[in-house]
Amino acid sequence: MILDLERFQALARPRWRELDSLLAALESRPDRRLNPAEAEQLQELYAQTAADLNRVTHGALAHELRQYLERLVARAYSELYYAPRMRSEIWQPRRWLRIFTAFPETFRRHARYFALAVLITVLGCAFGGLAVRYDPASVDVLLPADYLRNPGQRVHEEEQGQGQGRHQNSAQTEAAFSAQLIRHNIQIALLAAALGVTFGIGTALLLFENGVLLGAVAAHYTQQGFGLFMTAWLLPHGVFEIPSILIAGQAGFYLARLLLRRREDRNLRQSMREWLVLVAGLAMMLVWAGFMEAFFSQHHAPVLPYGFKVAVAAAELVLLTIYLLMTGRREIGTEAPSSVPSENR
Amino acid sequence: MTDTQLTRASTSAELTIATPEGVLFRLPLAGPASRLYAMLLDTAIVLGAVNGLGLLVYWIFSKAPGFGFMVIALAEFAIGFAYSALLEGFWNGQTIGKRLLHLRVIDQDGLPLRIEQAWVRNLMRVFDALPFAYLVGGLSVLSSPLMQRFGDRVAGTLVIRQTPLAAPVEDFWMRQKYNSFKDYPAIAMKLRRAATPELATLIQDALRRRNELAAYARREIYRELATYLQSEISPFPDELVEKLSDEQYLTNASGILFGDQRPSSR
Repeated sequence: MILDLERFQALARPRWRELDSLLAALESRPDRRLNPAEAEQLQELYAQTAADLNRVTHGALAHELRQYLERLVARAYSELYYAPRMRSEIWQPRRWLRIFTAFPETFRRHARYFALAVLITVLGCAFGGLAVRYDPASVDVLLPADYLRNPGQRVHEEEQGQGQGRHQNSAQTEAAFSAQLIRHNIQIALLAAALGVTFGIGTALLLFENGVLLGAVAAHYTQQGFGLFMTAWLLPHGVFEIPSILIAGQAGFYLARLLLRRREDRNLRQSMREWLVLVAGLAMMLVWAGFMEAFFSQHHAPVLPYGFKVAVAAAELVLLTIYLLMTGRREIGTEAPSSVPSENR
Repeated sequence: MTDTQLTRASTSAELTIATPEGVLFRLPLAGPASRLYAMLLDTAIVLGAVNGLGLLVYWIFSKAPGFGFMVIALAEFAIGFAYSALLEGFWNGQTIGKRLLHLRVIDQDGLPLRIEQAWVRNLMRVFDALPFAYLVGGLSVLSSPLMQRFGDRVAGTLVIRQTPLAAPVEDFWMRQKYNSFKDYPAIAMKLRRAATPELATLIQDALRRRNELAAYARREIYRELATYLQSEISPFPDELVEKLSDEQYLTNASGILFGDQRPSSR
């Protein structure tokens, strides 16, 4: 070691202190912006301290000093090379409201992953439905919850329960029920979206299983002649719940693709944001689905005619389709494939 | 500045960043244990906040407990996800638990965490928490050179250790007027060459903590260190060493290791 540590420290300590206090001042500032004079000063102190660090690095004895300088350099480095978003930008309500247009835009941009999710779910449905159709015994395997195995009894219970007016506090029960549904559904959907890290295999399995269940239930109830009841029971919330699980699958496949070609992706940040937008959008859909399921779907024939319930479901589906396909399109047919106007950085 | 070409290298315990200016610095990575403690702390904080909020909500909704339950259940769920994401996003990569344990989440290029990264890594918890007790995430941390759980791998983040460091102080042995070891430059050189950084730091720490150590412990430690140095590393002449206390021996050795190079006769 050629360095004279004592003299070196005595000479350099003032500039380290200066850098330290400049950084402390910056870090405590809410938007962490530099004015030109400070930027110049920071740049200069950073260069000097980095040079000091280089000198110490090769003399392995000054362990503590090296740590101290590394910390200083790391802090200065992150201030110099990172432009934080302005606080005022973050708190603009317009930015937050943009999620409502960004969601359908992102959905359309990655429609092929959605198609893949639909395909896998349909395969699952077909498998479940055909299995029940041609081998009624498979119901025991495919439908784990035993209340699903005896549709007649279930329908009777549901309609009876309705006839007696349930309890006086039915709105209370329904509110609590809706919260549980929303939590559970969002958790499952988020899992489907996160399982993209398994190269999409986990997402595909989850979608397929979901499809099998759906197909089996549908076939089972239809076979026993409760098709209309089931449609009216499941569709008012299902028209939001099922698409949102499919969008979760879309997000999962999108994530898998993202991770597979991570090295080529020049704009990983934007891609990650699109994944977030999909997740946020499907969460909003599931909140609606949860309320519908608890407050609307559970009311049966005498109170709400089945035809009315199916009509409501159909109206919901039409609105959802219009929202997902049309929102954010400025002029149909002229939309640029990757127009994201909010990217103001 | 995303187009700056950075080279990264890592060992099990640290990330080395090479800046565009050609400076290398290391960031010590946080191990799974400290991260677990931070998470438990955060969980306790969230539970406390949610329960406090719960009492308030139940009081407001005392006529309609079902709605109260709904509000609480949804708020708990939202807070569970948003707590870490918002705090990390706005508080430069730290939650309360992480701040108390001196941890920080950063971008894997050594830059501060961005808001969308904070959300991605925290939403990915649903996967990392599988099948129970963060087994997937824990295995991922242990098998990753950068100690990343899956959420970190996806978001491109990592957790570093940031224990507070005091500015280096001037030590008294730097200021001593006369160091008899400098009269034997050949042996002194041998000491400088042979002493590992760990050994040098050990000697330095032993001297710095002089007043924290009990007298008998200090005697023992100094004797062991001095004997080790004398017998294994740098055999100074016996007639010199006999006149020195162990403490003086170590002080001189530190002076050789950390201090001025020039002969003492100035």
